[in-house]
Amino acid sequence: MKSFIAFFKKEILECIRSGKLTVLCILFVIFGIMNPAIAKLTPWMVELLSGSLAENGMLITGVTVTALTSWTQFFKNIKIALFVFVLIYSGIFTKEYQSGTLTLILTKGLSRYKVMLAKFVVMLTIWTFGYWLCFVVTYGYNAYFWDNSIAIELIPAAVCWWLFGVWIVCLIVLFSALSKSHTGVLLGTGGSVLGVYLIGLLPEIRGYTPIALLDNTSLLTGAESVDIFTKAVCTTMIMCFVLIVVSIPVMNRKQL
Amino acid sequence: MDMLRIINLKKCFGDKEVLTGLDLSVPEHSVFGFVGKNGAGKTTTMKMILGLLKPDSGEIFVSGDKVRYGQTSTNRYIGYLPDVPEFYSFMTAREYLRLCGESLEMGKKEIEERSEELLSLVGLSKVSHRMKGFSRGMKQRLGIAQALLGRPKLLICDEPTSALDPIGRKEVLDILLSARDQTTVLFSTHILADVERICTDVVFLNNGKIAVKGEVSQLKNMYPTHKFIVETIKEKDAEYLSGAFGDVLRTEKDTLVFSGKRAEMFEVLTFITEHKIPVSKIERVEPSLESLFMEVAAK
Repeated sequence: MKSFIAFFKKEILECIRSGKLTVLCILFVIFGIMNPAIAKLTPWMVELLSGSLAENGMLITGVTVTALTSWTQFFKNIKIALFVFVLIYSGIFTKEYQSGTLTLILTKGLSRYKVMLAKFVVMLTIWTFGYWLCFVVTYGYNAYFWDNSIAIELIPAAVCWWLFGVWIVCLIVLFSALSKSHTGVLLGTGGSVLGVYLIGLLPEIRGYTPIALLDNTSLLTGAESVDIFTKAVCTTMIMCFVLIVVSIPVMNRKQL
Repeated sequence: MDMLRIINLKKCFGDKEVLTGLDLSVPEHSVFGFVGKNGAGKTTTMKMILGLLKPDSGEIFVSGDKVRYGQTSTNRYIGYLPDVPEFYSFMTAREYLRLCGESLEMGKKEIEERSEELLSLVGLSKVSHRMKGFSRGMKQRLGIAQALLGRPKLLICDEPTSALDPIGRKEVLDILLSARDQTTVLFSTHILADVERICTDVVFLNNGKIAVKGEVSQLKNMYPTHKFIVETIKEKDAEYLSGAFGDVLRTEKDTLVFSGKRAEMFEVLTFITEHKIPVSKIERVEPSLESLFMEVAAK
């Protein structure tokens, strides 16, 4: 346990000193502010456009903006934030393979699975922290400008989206155990998401895939209840568990 | 007891057979020189001892325990210094040693004491900045400190001096020499002067096998030579001298290398005195590992 904590501390120290943590915090806060800002600016932008739209025969009457508009923005923009997070953190293993820093630590008798788990926990922590930071910022502004109660089942919807991010983190771990290069990890993770997305195009199956966790509009408007997510949440959690468990023997057999 | 025992180790990379049945045993408290050309399989062997590479066949025992690929339990006996050690550039040397110590499950107090002791041994105790600006020599010295941290029974050094300048080389060798009392050292190199300076035993690796093996002092006497060099002042004299004797090699216009029997030296000296040939140098060639290595590598 001691060696695991030591390596975990090293990872955190690296996040702080390399500036990765700062960059991500700023990013998540900016996204948090952007969501209500875009919502707030929507009527003004529509008004700007209405002149030209009217010429084309379109008539725009008063646009009402609510907290729901802002939350819709949140779930749109968090995709970009997740993408940036993946870009920054997908090299967390491969950088160490290539520089040889990991070899030296492993020859100290530190188990490979501890290295893997420490890096997994760090990614999970940063993702969780960043995601909820963004959420809290948006929540605060929304409460100030409008009323958050309009978004029904907001917390379950947000938790589901967070779980999708956790699944991505688990994919990064598996592909980092399989591949030696950063590109390999990115391709593997991206390819898996694309694959699951394509499978999810079949309506009967979609409800079971992690992609379904992103279909939260019906939850927010209250059109459907949380129950429709049960299947997707279960499969995603099982997938995460399997990904991590499979990564351990893969990592143990890796040639370094 | 043998600290390290390797039995019939084989490894291929694609079509290339790097090791073709390597057998080796390293006795306790020896400084073992592991010599071979570039690409002879020195690093490969070391990585397999550390469980970082999978052998195609063969067994390795460290302190009696079998090395299993991917599992790092035998590594608790080993301190490893790679040829170019890489550290986390965002940490200081002390922080890095603490991480190493905690990875070894050492106690907090022990880590602190041992770190200070080793940092002063390698001359880094006054360096407190992060490792980003470390020179190669500094990295190598810290590499030795981290390798010795857990008081390993076996210290494996992969060409620790190859990348260093003469001063850095001397420092590293001195540190290794001082570590000899505490541990067994396996030391790969292609610099034979280093082997002669600090090693007690040596093996030459050639074509994936051990070609020659033994104590350094014995090996040197195993191949005794009676070679000697005569340098004359005038080129004409060298020509004259080489004409008078049989086993002579004229390496330069004024330099002759004699390689006959022991008594021949006196004959040559008598000849020189009788004919009053002015010479600038007469020198006996010491039997060296280099000549032995050349002989082995040529096979």
